[in-house]
Amino acid sequence: MKELLSIRNFKAYYQTSSEEVRAVDGISLDLNEGEILGIAGESGCGKSTFSISLSCLFPPPLKYISGEIFLDGIDITKLNTQEIRKSILGPKISFIPQSSMNALNPTIRIRNFAIDIVKQHEPKTTRENIIHRVIERFESLSLPKDVLNRYPFELSGGMRQRTLVILSTIMNPEIVIADEPTSALDVSSQREVIELLKIMVKKKIMKSLIFITHELPILRQIADGIAVMYAGQIVEIGSVSDILFNAHHPYADVLMSSMIVPEKGMREKNLPSVSGTPPDLRHAIKGCRFADRCPEFKKDCREKDIEMVELTKGSFVRCIHPLRTKK
Amino acid sequence: MKTLRILFSSGKVVFGLSVFLFLFIGSITFTALSSKDPTEMVGNLYDSPSKEYPLGTDNFGRDVLVELIHGIKTSVIVGLSAGILATLIGTIIGTIAGFTGKWVDNVLNSLTNLFLVIPSFVILVLLAVSLQKRSLFLVTMVIGITSWPWTARAVRAQASSLKTREHISMAKLNGKGNLNIMFTEVLPYMLSYIFMVFVIQSAGGILNEAGLSMLGLGPENTISLGVMLSWALNFEAVRTGAWWAFFPAVFSIAVITFSLYLVNIGMDEVFNPRLRK
Amino acid sequence: MPGNPITGIVSKMASGGAPSDVLEKLYNSYIQEFGLDKPLYIQFWDYLVKVLHGDLGVSFSLYPIRVNEILAKALPWTIALQVPSIIIGWLLGNFLGVTAAYKKGKFDSVLFPFSLFISCIPYYCLAIILLYFFGVVLHILPTNGGYSMNLVPSFSISFILDVLKHYFLPFLSIVLVTIGGQAVGMREMSIYELNTDYVNYSKSLGIKESKIIRYVFRNAMLPQITGLALSLGTMVGGALIVEIVFSYPGVGTWLFNGIRQQDYPLIQGGTLLVTMAVLTANFFIDIIYSFVDPRIKASQIEE
Repeated sequence: MKELLSIRNFKAYYQTSSEEVRAVDGISLDLNEGEILGIAGESGCGKSTFSISLSCLFPPPLKYISGEIFLDGIDITKLNTQEIRKSILGPKISFIPQSSMNALNPTIRIRNFAIDIVKQHEPKTTRENIIHRVIERFESLSLPKDVLNRYPFELSGGMRQRTLVILSTIMNPEIVIADEPTSALDVSSQREVIELLKIMVKKKIMKSLIFITHELPILRQIADGIAVMYAGQIVEIGSVSDILFNAHHPYADVLMSSMIVPEKGMREKNLPSVSGTPPDLRHAIKGCRFADRCPEFKKDCREKDIEMVELTKGSFVRCIHPLRTKK
Repeated sequence: MKTLRILFSSGKVVFGLSVFLFLFIGSITFTALSSKDPTEMVGNLYDSPSKEYPLGTDNFGRDVLVELIHGIKTSVIVGLSAGILATLIGTIIGTIAGFTGKWVDNVLNSLTNLFLVIPSFVILVLLAVSLQKRSLFLVTMVIGITSWPWTARAVRAQASSLKTREHISMAKLNGKGNLNIMFTEVLPYMLSYIFMVFVIQSAGGILNEAGLSMLGLGPENTISLGVMLSWALNFEAVRTGAWWAFFPAVFSIAVITFSLYLVNIGMDEVFNPRLRK
Repeated sequence: MPGNPITGIVSKMASGGAPSDVLEKLYNSYIQEFGLDKPLYIQFWDYLVKVLHGDLGVSFSLYPIRVNEILAKALPWTIALQVPSIIIGWLLGNFLGVTAAYKKGKFDSVLFPFSLFISCIPYYCLAIILLYFFGVVLHILPTNGGYSMNLVPSFSISFILDVLKHYFLPFLSIVLVTIGGQAVGMREMSIYELNTDYVNYSKSLGIKESKIIRYVFRNAMLPQITGLALSLGTMVGGALIVEIVFSYPGVGTWLFNGIRQQDYPLIQGGTLLVTMAVLTANFFIDIIYSFVDPRIKASQIEE
């Protein structure tokens, strides 16, 4: 398998004149071709900020601090905004946004928006060719092509979201980042979107997918691997079955057991079996960030910053006293 | 009290309000204390500014500075009174329309839109022409009566968005009457908004008075900024280069309305978080 | 308004030295001609019937010229002055507003207070200042009228240039104030639009800024179009007074003359014309709006 994306100790903070929030604080991960990676975590853990910063545009007050994002061997954090717009966003990295209601410009037909996207990256392609290509794409995924002649408000929620998926992938991107793309949909529309995404990875319309969600059943349906985030860091990465049933990090373990039974509004609630709240990211934290709430807390947890360690192949954990390991 | 403190945290509100109050209170104090008669002829046609008359004299040989201070007082009073009237009518109609909904809303809203679309300028001119005597009071009334639709429209939008709030449903369940709810649950929540509309209406009142006066339909037997401008135009102050006869009035109108707009924008930024940077 | 206008007309003739019994007869014939001997409600009814036939009556002050004739001469000047200046000012103002919202920083911090200040100055005040500065101090532009008195209207180049020279200042006054007001409103609308999801999504697809500004411009403009329809009456009113400042030969100046000379038919005709013009313009704006906003179009088709 070819490695597509490699992120090394990446940090992006929210900086205002008065304070600094370490929303993404040292993330490292690798993504291979054909892989679907799920990212799970409570709200406020930095998963959405992480997904935004993968665009390397860093809308203020978000600011790039340090680290590298290698895409095809190029560190895209070093590129300027122009280069990123021109050659990265669209053809290399693409996003599927969260809510579909206002994600599309309300006063432009889907067809014309598709043309705008393609023209941006291939100025020489004619409108006819672009329309032809988009129609083909709709037909190959058995979606009605008359969607193209419609305005966003004329589409149902599910259809709008599937349209977003197609528009985001029109340039055949290498990596697609979907931040809770199904959260606003009913169950059957959710399934349609998930199926669509899986088919597209299989058909190599996109080479890989990062899927951010707090809904575990969806991750089980779609993901190959899961990364669990806590307080701006990844605390564990592994295969779906490993993380779900055999998590090594105490936080991942608690999160998974709470997510096995999906509840509505769970994001707003604190984790059931641990007390306390995630640490305040405005201040530096020494040692393990989960230490305050950890049921397995030991003295040395706070002594120094914890590094990711590889337990078995492809399974990393940020804990010095991991669960379910032979000692 | 807390609202006031938030309000004064906005530089725009503080600055605008200071300028406005300085001009208004200053002109009132001056006219109350000084015995100088603005209609007294102290010089000749368009004497240039001098030590004695810093802003020169006008077409009747009267002291422009004294006239200006009286003019500011009159214009601001006209503006504020017309603003109060327009806000009162508009708030009543807007609240009833927005809160009641259904056919009452339809009727009142159509009426408002009708008056919005017919140029208020035309109604203003026709009303003013038909007056036997144009006293300051009547002109103010005419301006107030013709400018309520804007308020009604703005207040209606607010009231109908408030209608669905929980505390109003609660009050309804508790058996409070509509009128009671309007006064205790709807109006208090719109106060800051209504005040903002009032500020804009007052600025509009000052501009309308000036416009009417320029048409020769201003208040009779008083000096307002608009009346000064109208004299200046009729007696060719501009074309003969007597800048002191028109520029102070022009500048005062602009500064007064600007200060009121600043207050409005400052308040908007305070109460409307999406505009905050 | 006090005073019987007929007395005015007759006394004008009396200054020519006509005998009093002739004046008496004249007075009575005028009273009859204008229908002033009839009860008020019949006068009003007659007026309505005439207006519906497109007859605005005879002017008092310029007897026996018909009001229709006066207004027909004045209307082209007013339309030629107001329509382009309001449209251009509106477009420029909206363009500046969206740019200020997008660029922020210095551009915004200079433009915004300036636009705000300009928009607070009524049209006629700005007109007076411009008139004084360009016409009197610099002496480079004419100070009154629609064309020079010594020229005969024709389609010659010299006449057209002369008309343009007279056109410039009133045009500029209206354009500047309109720009100010529109820029302030558009800036606010655009700040709102720039925070919407579709802007972020478009950015994430690599769409360039100029295109995104175009999206925002179009969407933020929709409420501005409605705003134009609603404030058109106020705008036209202000612009009519600009005509008075420059003695521009349009409807505003004639209305002013009518008011000064208690020429009721002229005042009524003028205000009626202005109302009709504003209503017509509103009608067209509504039609244009339904073309620009697909959501309106769709709801109309469904109905």
